[in-house]
Amino acid sequence: MAFIKKSRNSDALAQDERKVQRDCSSLALGLEQPDPLARRWAARDLADCPDASAALVSRLQREDDASVREIIFSTLTCLGDDIAVAGLVQCLRSDDAALRNEAIEAMKQLPDEVAAIMQGLLEDSDADVRIFAVNVLESLRHPEVESWLIEVIERDPHVNVCATAVDLLGEVGTEASREPLRHLKARFADEPYIQFAADLALKRIAEI
Amino acid sequence: MKRILIVDDAATVRMYHRSILETAGYAVEEAVNGFEALEKALQSSFDLYVVDINMPKLDGYGFLRELRGQDIRQVPAIMISTEADASDRQRAYAAGANAYMLKPSRPEQLLVNVKLLIGEAQA
Repeated sequence: MAFIKKSRNSDALAQDERKVQRDCSSLALGLEQPDPLARRWAARDLADCPDASAALVSRLQREDDASVREIIFSTLTCLGDDIAVAGLVQCLRSDDAALRNEAIEAMKQLPDEVAAIMQGLLEDSDADVRIFAVNVLESLRHPEVESWLIEVIERDPHVNVCATAVDLLGEVGTEASREPLRHLKARFADEPYIQFAADLALKRIAEI
Repeated sequence: MKRILIVDDAATVRMYHRSILETAGYAVEEAVNGFEALEKALQSSFDLYVVDINMPKLDGYGFLRELRGQDIRQVPAIMISTEADASDRQRAYAAGANAYMLKPSRPEQLLVNVKLLIGEAQA
């Protein structure tokens, strides 16, 4: 018997039945169908079509069904092209906390693609986006993670961006983070949380 | 001893708030997201919740909305967030928060709010 590899979306769609044609134009239309089932199938099957990322990103901003969103994120993660990554970044600017969190989780699965734009995200004019970028670093398996975090705590003027970075340095920081952490403590000398988190990180680094 | 549940996905933030609250004489439990907090809130009684807004799985708004639909709805809650906009504050109160604080919290501000909501504030 031939082994058939299950796609990442297959569990969610296991009970569903395709009800639309699978050519690309039909699938694009399927993303706009009122039935979430049709949208789920379209979101999955569009992966093989040109311009799939653009259609999925456009739908993502308007999609309110959690199960459809899950599949759109999954397909965008599989595609991982520039448009897909830009669409995920766009979600970081959303007021919808669930959408932002889903985008962060999706970005964590694209270490190389996200690494290429990380510097820009960490220099974004919106402090919230910089915080979410640090959140992405939490599980981003990439050799530059500590360097990026050190740069954040040395340069970022926003206390909550630095606080988020210090939390993570407490887990991934090495000897290289020691002096930057001390500088941070001096820079935010009147912020009890920074003092607490930096001391904790320094203690953990000393125990390595 | 009054019991407080801290709900935050950041371990360092939980440790920080635990340190402040335990030093002030409160018993503290922790949850890492809204789902875990809801489970603990339904299994055990607390005098106050200290809740972060941005969390994976179930965020602070979702937790409070679920909580306010249960019998434990009268337990007060402080929401803590990095969001300084008035709209975020309004949204927190609409979800059922009794107080709203900005991160990073300061020990004295946290304790003032805790004492007020637990009913220990001096006249």
